[in-house]
Amino acid sequence: MEALNALMHGFSVALQPMNLLWGLVGVTLGTFVGVLPGVGPALTVAMLLSLTIKLDPTGALIMFAGIYYGAMFGGSTTTILLNTPGESASIATALEGNKMAKAGRAGPALATSAIGSFVAGTIATVLLTLVAPIVVDLALKFGPAEYFALMVFAFITVASVLGASTVRGLTSLFLGLFVGLIGIDSQTGQARFAFGVPELLDGVDVVVLAVGLFAVGEALYVAAYQSRVVETMEKIKGSLLMSAADWRRSWPAWLRATAIGFPFGTIPAGGAEIPTFLSYAAEKKLSRHPEEFGRGAIEGVAGPEAANNAAATGVLVPLLTLGIPTSATAAILLGAFQNYGLQPGPLLFEAQKDLVWGLIASLYVGNIILLILNLPLIGIWVKVLEIPKDLLYAGILVLATLGAYSLHQSWIDLLTLYVFGLMGFAMRRWDVPVGPAVIGLILGPLAETQFRRALSISQGDASVFFTQPISATLLAITAFLIVAPWLYRRLKPTSS
Amino acid sequence: MVRSRAEVALSLGIVALGLGVAAVTATLPSEGGYAGIGPNFIPAVVAAGIIVLGAWLAFEAFSGGWRKAPAHDAAFAPAPFLWVSAGLFAHMVLIGWAGFVVAGTALFACVARGFGSRRVARDVAIALVFSLAIYFFFVQLLNVNLPAGWLAPVLGGAGI
Repeated sequence: MEALNALMHGFSVALQPMNLLWGLVGVTLGTFVGVLPGVGPALTVAMLLSLTIKLDPTGALIMFAGIYYGAMFGGSTTTILLNTPGESASIATALEGNKMAKAGRAGPALATSAIGSFVAGTIATVLLTLVAPIVVDLALKFGPAEYFALMVFAFITVASVLGASTVRGLTSLFLGLFVGLIGIDSQTGQARFAFGVPELLDGVDVVVLAVGLFAVGEALYVAAYQSRVVETMEKIKGSLLMSAADWRRSWPAWLRATAIGFPFGTIPAGGAEIPTFLSYAAEKKLSRHPEEFGRGAIEGVAGPEAANNAAATGVLVPLLTLGIPTSATAAILLGAFQNYGLQPGPLLFEAQKDLVWGLIASLYVGNIILLILNLPLIGIWVKVLEIPKDLLYAGILVLATLGAYSLHQSWIDLLTLYVFGLMGFAMRRWDVPVGPAVIGLILGPLAETQFRRALSISQGDASVFFTQPISATLLAITAFLIVAPWLYRRLKPTSS
Repeated sequence: MVRSRAEVALSLGIVALGLGVAAVTATLPSEGGYAGIGPNFIPAVVAAGIIVLGAWLAFEAFSGGWRKAPAHDAAFAPAPFLWVSAGLFAHMVLIGWAGFVVAGTALFACVARGFGSRRVARDVAIALVFSLAIYFFFVQLLNVNLPAGWLAPVLGGAGI
């Protein structure tokens, strides 16, 4: 019941009028920016990070939780009406959602996605409340060797799960790790790869990398390859309300998807992409109307959308309790914590009770705000979707450059931003996933610190990683994950 | 068999980056107190990783192309790409002395042009309103400083 008391205390923080206001602002802005085609949750959070520079940490992080949820919801609206999934986790929704919209059932599709997100988000937040203290107790037993092994595990799974090719995933990860090395070494004060540029001594901010890859890279890509493609938006015809049959078909899908999404979010499996597809497959198999799949089955929207939200909440478990981001968006949230000198992890639960539990309580509040706000305001979000592409990308780039410039008020950050933009362009064109790079940048320096701490404690004896049971197990699992697909291909009967 | 020269160039570029990282790493000190490793250890690991991955990609590129790459038919349009780039460079140069509003307007207009707009007056008008709105939102409400630049006399003492 300790968790319940802590949560009640959290509500007393989250429900303070100013914090409630920041939550509301966050949800609204997050939805507004998240609705913009081509802007996924990671970019939304990165671009809006600069808004919170002058806020107190609690208010800022509550606003961020709102932005995070709002961006997820906004993205699904775009996916259903425009069929342009802003991120891989929305692809499964697009399969049925856009078909429903084409068939004149955009209203129920948006409704099941909004209510499903609320149901899944709320259940997942309850699970987060219950699971987090348990993981914190476990994490308190972790030393540097265990943390390092856990981070290596996260690196490998994220790099091999995201994208089609493990080699390209690892390449992305190592590019991110390299960018993470730039700046002053936290252990010795040695400058590395900064070439005497003062702006680089601080290290490259995750906002610059994320905005460069996601916004500038995307804008360059769309300009070069798709500036003449015109997208057609489906109109919302008829009622927004779901019929009794829609309800009957939606709620089991929401619950099943929550059960799939939350656990996947908590492990480093690249966020919400896999559970949304699993949920889609499960609904297709269990549906009493399998013939409707591919032509707009409501379960095919309800499931993936709920799975997406449950996973997005699940991602907060390793982020808050261990300080390990398992998706690009979580990596940027971790950057937001670091901007305030806070390092998420078990100690944060002790030292910053107000902040952590206020943040968790604000997730409950954010879910309710989203539900109240979104369906009535759907008319506004549709207007946002009608912004023509030329003005849309112009506006996105003004916001993106502002996010980078406000860090140091220096044009060097803008040049760095453009370099990452070129990198993002090439990665988009040649199918290299960008998520591992963002995670590598933020997690790389933390992993290095833990690695060197572990070796300091063991007086330079590297066997420490293999003699501690938790660390050895994690490294063994990691090695297995690398070798297993290769072995599988080798041992498979060569009939195909 | 080489399917894509771009893939070959990118793979070799990654190898070159790895070699560059290795070269800089060689200049870093290696003493590290109790840990026995210094600030050059992880950079060496990362350099090795980048070189190996680049070489692997090069091998793939030379033997039929990068694996599992989706088909990509659209042709590269240089003009829009250059307009967007020009906007970003103009913004970079202008923001320090002409101020946020002027730089933002230039960026906005160039990007809109890159995405096919021919209505320059409309774009500049929208850009100006948009940049001004953001400027006041940040400076007045969020208390974040942005350079006023040329428009300092008009914008008052709001910025720096």
